[in-house]
Amino acid sequence: MAETPALSVRDLVVREGERVLLSLPALDLAPGTTLGIRGPSGAGKSTLLFALAGLDARATGQVLWGGLDLLALRGGGRAAFRARRMGIVFQDFLLFDELDALGNASVSTLYRTRGDRAPLKARAGALLERLGVPDGRRAVPTLSGGERQRVAVARALAHGPDILLADEPTANLHREAAEALAGDLLAAAAGPGKVLVAVSHDEALLARMDRVIALKDGTLADA
Amino acid sequence: MRDLWDGLPAGVQDVAVLALLLLPLLVTGLVVTRGFAPWPLARAILWRFRWPVLIFALLIAVAVGTGIGLIAQERALRQGTAAAADPFDLVIGAPGSEITLLLAAVFLQPSDVSLLDGAAYEAIAQARGVAFAAPLAFGDSVDGAPVVGTTAEFVTHLSGGALAEGRIWAEHGEAVVGAGLGLPLGAGIEPAHGTGPSAESDAHAGEHFTVTGRLPPTGTPWDRAVLVPVETVWEVHGLAAGHAPERAEQVGPPFDAAYFPGTPAVVVRPESLAAAYALRSQFNGEPGTMAFFPGAVLSQFYGIMGDVRAAMSLMALVSQGLVAVSVLLGLFILSRLTRRQMALLRALGAPARFVLAVVWCHGTALLAAGTVLGVALGWGAAAVLSRIIGARTEILLHTSLGWTEVHLAAAFLSLASLAALLPAAAALRAPVIEGLRA
Repeated sequence: MAETPALSVRDLVVREGERVLLSLPALDLAPGTTLGIRGPSGAGKSTLLFALAGLDARATGQVLWGGLDLLALRGGGRAAFRARRMGIVFQDFLLFDELDALGNASVSTLYRTRGDRAPLKARAGALLERLGVPDGRRAVPTLSGGERQRVAVARALAHGPDILLADEPTANLHREAAEALAGDLLAAAAGPGKVLVAVSHDEALLARMDRVIALKDGTLADA
Repeated sequence: MRDLWDGLPAGVQDVAVLALLLLPLLVTGLVVTRGFAPWPLARAILWRFRWPVLIFALLIAVAVGTGIGLIAQERALRQGTAAAADPFDLVIGAPGSEITLLLAAVFLQPSDVSLLDGAAYEAIAQARGVAFAAPLAFGDSVDGAPVVGTTAEFVTHLSGGALAEGRIWAEHGEAVVGAGLGLPLGAGIEPAHGTGPSAESDAHAGEHFTVTGRLPPTGTPWDRAVLVPVETVWEVHGLAAGHAPERAEQVGPPFDAAYFPGTPAVVVRPESLAAAYALRSQFNGEPGTMAFFPGAVLSQFYGIMGDVRAAMSLMALVSQGLVAVSVLLGLFILSRLTRRQMALLRALGAPARFVLAVVWCHGTALLAAGTVLGVALGWGAAAVLSRIIGARTEILLHTSLGWTEVHLAAAFLSLASLAALLPAAAALRAPVIEGLRA
């Protein structure tokens, strides 16, 4: 019996009015695989990532994660899926400037059940320490770009997701920091059944991915 | 049910009304935040946008404070004037305006009123059910303080039975001063003719009063009055002293009608409540007199004031409504400021109700802060106004927070907190991707 793909995309289209921003007839990803997405600016990489996360209301078609069609779910169902199974690292970090580093890494404790809060916070603290931001009380504006990115990664990993989506995770980082972060992301996605999908211009990161696809004008191009 | 409610003590009813008014707020808060911990984020957002938040809170405070201050001030004025009129059971004067005579006799405001003659006074003093009938005579002043001629019985009544110091006059030319005047016992004072800036200081040259006693504080304009035997006022004006020449040195009643120069008002202490009504009826039925209960006239006055208050309350309500709309717009603007944060929460998978809770909590916290500040502001403004009015009229005004104000503030907060759900709901409808790129 064939293994159910971790990710199966069918006829995924994102339109803005008459304009087609993304058109992806089919894409399958086996469990335990890492996928890199490359392409020039405006090719539809972030649009694809947002559609895979169920964040783009304009997306039509199917995005099946382990057989569950995310696009068939309503807003609440999609949010619950992301909260439970996905970790997302956004471009430009997207941290809460109002909270400290630990507050950001453990932000999901605010909307989780009381019993989940303490272990999740402890895990977020441990992740921050492992990623090189040991003082969780530091305010976001005092963090360097690399530190902010590591806080964003800690936030994405704190709840132990099996799907990790990352949008330009190593952008704005110097080489050494970029390599360290790439290593952390790949290590986080190394568990059985886990998936990492990363949009990147970073050839060093893409070279470490199991598979790389290229997008151009919203469609697949030769990788 | 109605009987049960009516049977409850007033305090319990007030607390129950407060709980009922706050119920929508509490229920909304419970439903929206149950199971979540939105406050750390809501608090952090409030702190981050503290300046616009402060401006909105002050705007709310001014709106709430206007309503609260209006009600508190009106009540203080009503209670203060009622307390001032309390010692005046029944006032009888010549037919005319009751309000004018009330202002003259009770609040010592300079007024032109017709005089009662000796026969009228005698009829009043000898009427059945009269414990005492004290004529009042006005027109002079000492350094701006009104001089009032009256009887020792009335001074005793006004002081509650005992002076603060000294004694009541024993002869013509002696005076008892109000508690608010700094004149020491034994001080000599010279009256001026008239009151206010037009008083003629040398019109009564040679006349001289000696302070023999001081009234205890009454919280009324009488605290700044100089009380002398009514005979003294008449004598100072070159009139007969109320007694036949062979009893010219007598102080106090009975007066001789033939030598009674006239009085603008007679304060009557009835022997009983029934006697009070009988006397009012009797002297309202006679052609030369008019009798009224100052308390009843004040009630009529409050009735008119009540209409004004209703109009002002309506205006305050309209202004509060306008401010509520502004606040609602403000909350929408604030929610626009935080749309990136809300989009991020939604992208991370936070439940819609949690996002709603964060926006609602920071909006409601702002509203609550503004409301509490408004109550303090309203109370403070009313207290300052009471001091100013008290200084000008000598009427002691106690400003306090009543249940009406608390209920008004609670109703405002409760309704506004429901309105705060609108920007919260709007935050949920905004596209996530646009929010993330904001």
